[in-house]
Amino acid sequence: MTSLEELRKINARCIHCRACQYAYSNEPDREGADEEYTGMMLSCPGGNFYGWEGYFNSGRMWMARAFLEGDLKPSQEMLEVVEACTTCGLCAEQCTNYIDTVDIIEELRAAIIESGVEPLKRHKMIGDRVLEEDKRNPYNDPRSDRTAWHDGSVDDKNMKVAYYVGCTGAYRQQGVAKHTASILKKLGVDYTVLTEEVCCGSPILRTGQKDIFKKVMNENLEMFKDFDLLVFSCAGCFRTFKVDYPKQSGKPLPFKVAHTLDIAYDLITEGKLKIEKPYNKKVTWHDPCHTIRHIGLAIEKEILEKSDNWLLDSRKAAKAKEAWYERPREVIRAIPGMDFREMYRIKGNSFCCGAGGGVKTQFPDMANDTARERIKEAAATGAEVLLTSCPFCITNFNDAVKSLKKEEEETGKDLSAVGSKLEIVELLELMDQLLD
Amino acid sequence: MVEYNKVTDEVVKKLVAICGEKYVTDSEPLRYSYMARGIMGLEAVLPEVVIRPANTEEVRKILMVANDNLSPVTPAAGGLSGGFALPAIEPGGILMDMTRMNKMEVDTENRVMIVEPGVRCGDAWRIFKKKWPEWAPPIPDGAPPGATILGDAIERGFSLVTGRYGPQADMIMGLEIVLPSGEMFRTGSWALDGAKAFYRWGVGPNPDGLFLGSQGSMGIITKAAVKIVPHPHFKTIVAYGGDSWEHIIEPAWAIGKYEMGISDNTVMVQGGNWPLVMTRWPKSNVPLDYKFYEKIGIDEYWMNSEVWAHSQEELDFTLKRIDEIYKDYEVKKKTVCKQQQLHPKQIASRLKKPNLIAVPYGLYEAGFLFITWYCPWLESSKMMEEYCAAMENYGFPPTMWVASIDHARQAIVMPILCFDSSKPGIYDKIREFNIETTKSFLKQGWINYRPDPFVHAPLTFSKSKDYYRMLVKFRKVLDPNLILHPGRLAIPWASVTDSPSPLEGE
Repeated sequence: MTSLEELRKINARCIHCRACQYAYSNEPDREGADEEYTGMMLSCPGGNFYGWEGYFNSGRMWMARAFLEGDLKPSQEMLEVVEACTTCGLCAEQCTNYIDTVDIIEELRAAIIESGVEPLKRHKMIGDRVLEEDKRNPYNDPRSDRTAWHDGSVDDKNMKVAYYVGCTGAYRQQGVAKHTASILKKLGVDYTVLTEEVCCGSPILRTGQKDIFKKVMNENLEMFKDFDLLVFSCAGCFRTFKVDYPKQSGKPLPFKVAHTLDIAYDLITEGKLKIEKPYNKKVTWHDPCHTIRHIGLAIEKEILEKSDNWLLDSRKAAKAKEAWYERPREVIRAIPGMDFREMYRIKGNSFCCGAGGGVKTQFPDMANDTARERIKEAAATGAEVLLTSCPFCITNFNDAVKSLKKEEEETGKDLSAVGSKLEIVELLELMDQLLD
Repeated sequence: MVEYNKVTDEVVKKLVAICGEKYVTDSEPLRYSYMARGIMGLEAVLPEVVIRPANTEEVRKILMVANDNLSPVTPAAGGLSGGFALPAIEPGGILMDMTRMNKMEVDTENRVMIVEPGVRCGDAWRIFKKKWPEWAPPIPDGAPPGATILGDAIERGFSLVTGRYGPQADMIMGLEIVLPSGEMFRTGSWALDGAKAFYRWGVGPNPDGLFLGSQGSMGIITKAAVKIVPHPHFKTIVAYGGDSWEHIIEPAWAIGKYEMGISDNTVMVQGGNWPLVMTRWPKSNVPLDYKFYEKIGIDEYWMNSEVWAHSQEELDFTLKRIDEIYKDYEVKKKTVCKQQQLHPKQIASRLKKPNLIAVPYGLYEAGFLFITWYCPWLESSKMMEEYCAAMENYGFPPTMWVASIDHARQAIVMPILCFDSSKPGIYDKIREFNIETTKSFLKQGWINYRPDPFVHAPLTFSKSKDYYRMLVKFRKVLDPNLILHPGRLAIPWASVTDSPSPLEGE
C-alpha cells in the first residue's frame, strides 16, 4: 500500500491500548538479569525521549486518524512531531492488531508534505542533494567520487552480480565498502559496482519526500535491471530495495537481493564456509532495525497476505519471522573463540540505535539519548564489543560512546558501566578480518 | 446549563508557571494524539490543553486555576483497557496526563501498596517479579501493559483475583484526593496524620465510595493504597464446555457458592462463546462458520477457572472438587460439560498477566466496543441470550465474554461489539443498539459498569431519581462549579441529553 488513504482501515484497527510503547509487551514473565531488564520495558525512542503521547506510536496512530478524517490539518508543527520517530518498528512488532505502523508513519509524513508543508529543514537539504546531478547523495559529496574507494571491477554490465554500495559506504564508511568487497572476493562472488549508482532513497522515503524517492527508485531499478543479483552492505539500502521498491513501484524486483551477511549465512549453514580464526572477545550484538525487524515483519506479512485463515497461519508466519531474526546469530556463533552475550532486548524487541527515520539528521539530541540507552544495555552484558551491521547504527553508537567519553572528561566520573569503553564493530569488517 | 470558559492564553501561562513549559502543550497535533474512540467508549472531545503534572501539589494548583477560570478538567493516565478518560463535552478544557506521577511503594508486612496514577501494569509487574516475587501486584486481569493500576481500581475494574475478592475497588485501603477548591484529604486510616493505610473504614465514615466509579468527576485521586495478595506458584487453568449459557453459568455458581476453600482458590472465573475466538482475526481471513471451530476443539460456550494454590496438594484437591461439581451437574441437568484438554501453552497463555487478550478484536473489522453490565450471576445467562440475539439482529457477531465477581455473586457481562468503523452510519446504529438493550436491561434490574455519558447514564438515572438527586448534591459539595470531567455520570444533565432531568422542578 502506497498511500495513507490506502492504510485507513489498517490505521482504524488501533484501539489506543499503548502496548506498542513496550518491548516484550506480550511477555510479562520474560526473565532478565535485574529489575531494569525484566519483563516488559517502555521502549519507544520518541516517546521515551519526549514523553508526550504524540511521540509514541499510539498517539501517532490517532494523529493519523484525525488527519484522515480531516479534523487535523497538516502543519509544520505536526510534521515536527511526526518526524521525531526512528521508524524502528518496535511498535509494529508488538501490535496484535497487525497495524503497519512504520508504513502509516511514513505515509503520514508524505501526506503532510504532499499537502504543501515544507519538509523539515535538514530533511529537505538531503532531499535536494540527492536530486543534484553532480551529487545524487545526501552527503554533499561529488558524484564523481562515488566509486573512488574501489579498485576492482566498475561498470561491467556483463557481470551477473552488482554490489550496491550506497552513499554511506561510498562516502563516509569506505572501510565497510572495502571490507565487503574483500569478503565477496573471498567468498568467490564476482561482482561489479556502478559509477552511476544513485542514493537508494531510504532517508528520503523515511522523511516523507516521496516524489524524490520515486525518481531515485526508478533510476536504480532501470540501472540494475539486467543483473541477476544485487548484494548490499548497508542495512538501509537493503531494506529499501527489498521491501520498499516492490511496494512503491507496484512491481516485483527484476533481480534478487541479498545482504552480504545473508550470503555468508547461506554458505555457513550449507557447510561451505568455516571461519577458522578466533575472535577472543566478549561480544554483544545489536539487531539493526532495517535488516532484522523490518524484513522479519515483511516476511510475516507476506505469509499472512496469502492466507485465508490467519487463526491457523499466524503461527507459521511468526515462526518464519523468528527464523529471520536468528540468522545473524548463526553467523556470529560460527566465529570461534567469541564469548557471545545477548542483550535483554533483542530480535523483534530490539531497542533502536536512535539514528533511523531521519532522526539523526534532524533530532540529534534524541538520537544521542537513544543510542546511549542502547549502549548502556550493551554494557550491562559485560561485553567489550558491540557488534552490529548497519552504517547508521555504527555512526550513532560511536557518537554516543564519544559523548560518554566527553562526559567522563568533564565530570571525572567513570562511565564504563554505561558503555564509555565499548568498542563498536561492524560485523562485515570483522568477518573480513577473520576470513582467509 | 453550566457555562464553561475556554482555556485562554492567560490560563495556559498560569499552567506553565505551575508545571514548567516542558509539561504544558496546546499543540493541536499533540492534543489529537490523546484521542481514543472505541473499546471503552465512543465519545471524545478534543482537549484544549494537555498538562503533565509531577506531583499532588501541582495537581492542586492546576485545579485551582481551572476552577477560577471555570475550565473543565479531565484526568487521564494509562486509560482503562485502552480507553482514555477523555473529555465528553465541549469545550474540551484541560486534559491532565498523569503519566509522570508514577511512583509506587510496597509494604509487604501490611500487604498494601501505594500507587500514583501513572503506575502502569507492565512496570508494576516487572518490578514485582524481581523485588517481591511472592506478591502479586494489583493489576487488572485482561488489560494491556500500558493500563494503570489506579485507573482500573477507581473504575472498579478487575483485579487478578476478582473471582475471589470482588472488583478492584474492593481492594482499596485509602485514597488521596484533591478537589477543585485546592483542598486535599485522605480516606481510611490514612486520614490520620502519620498513620498507615491499614484500615479502609478509617476514622470514619468513609467517603471513598463516592470516588470509585466516579470517572474522575468527584475529585482527582493522586494516590491510592491498594491491597496486595500472595502470588503462589501453584497455578493452573481448567476449562469446561457447554451447549448453552446456562450450562456454563450454573456449575460455576455451584463452585462459587462455597465461598471458602475451593471457591477461594478459584481466583478468576471467566468464559465466553465461540465468536470470541473468531472475531480476534480479520473477517475476510478467518472461517465464519462454527463447524471449523468445532473441528479444532472449541466449544460453543465455555468457562475457564483460574486456580491458585500454595501447594500441589491444594491445587490437585481444588481441581478434583471442581471436576466432581461439574460431573454432578452433568448428571443433575442431563447435559455434558466436557473438560477441555488444554495444551500447556494454552494454560500458560491464559495465566499470562498483563496480557493483550483484549486487543485483537480490532482486527475483525477495524472497530470494537466493550459494553459492560453487572447482574446477579445466575441471571447472566438470560442477559447474554438476549444480548447475543440483539447483536445478531443488528448485524454484529454475537461475541460475548462473562466473568464472575466475588464467588459468582455477580456477573460482569461484556459483549464485544465488532464493527466496521469506516461504514457510514455505524455509530448511529451502535447507539440505537445500545439504547434498545439498555432500556431492556434496566427494566430487568441490571446495571451498567462504566456508564456511557450519552446513553447509559441518562437512562439509568432516569430510573434512579432519588439516587441521582443525592449524587448531584454530593458532587456540588465536592466540585461546586462542576469542572471535573463534565458530562460523565450525566452531570450536568443537559450537557448529555435532552430528556427530562430527574431534578426537574427542583
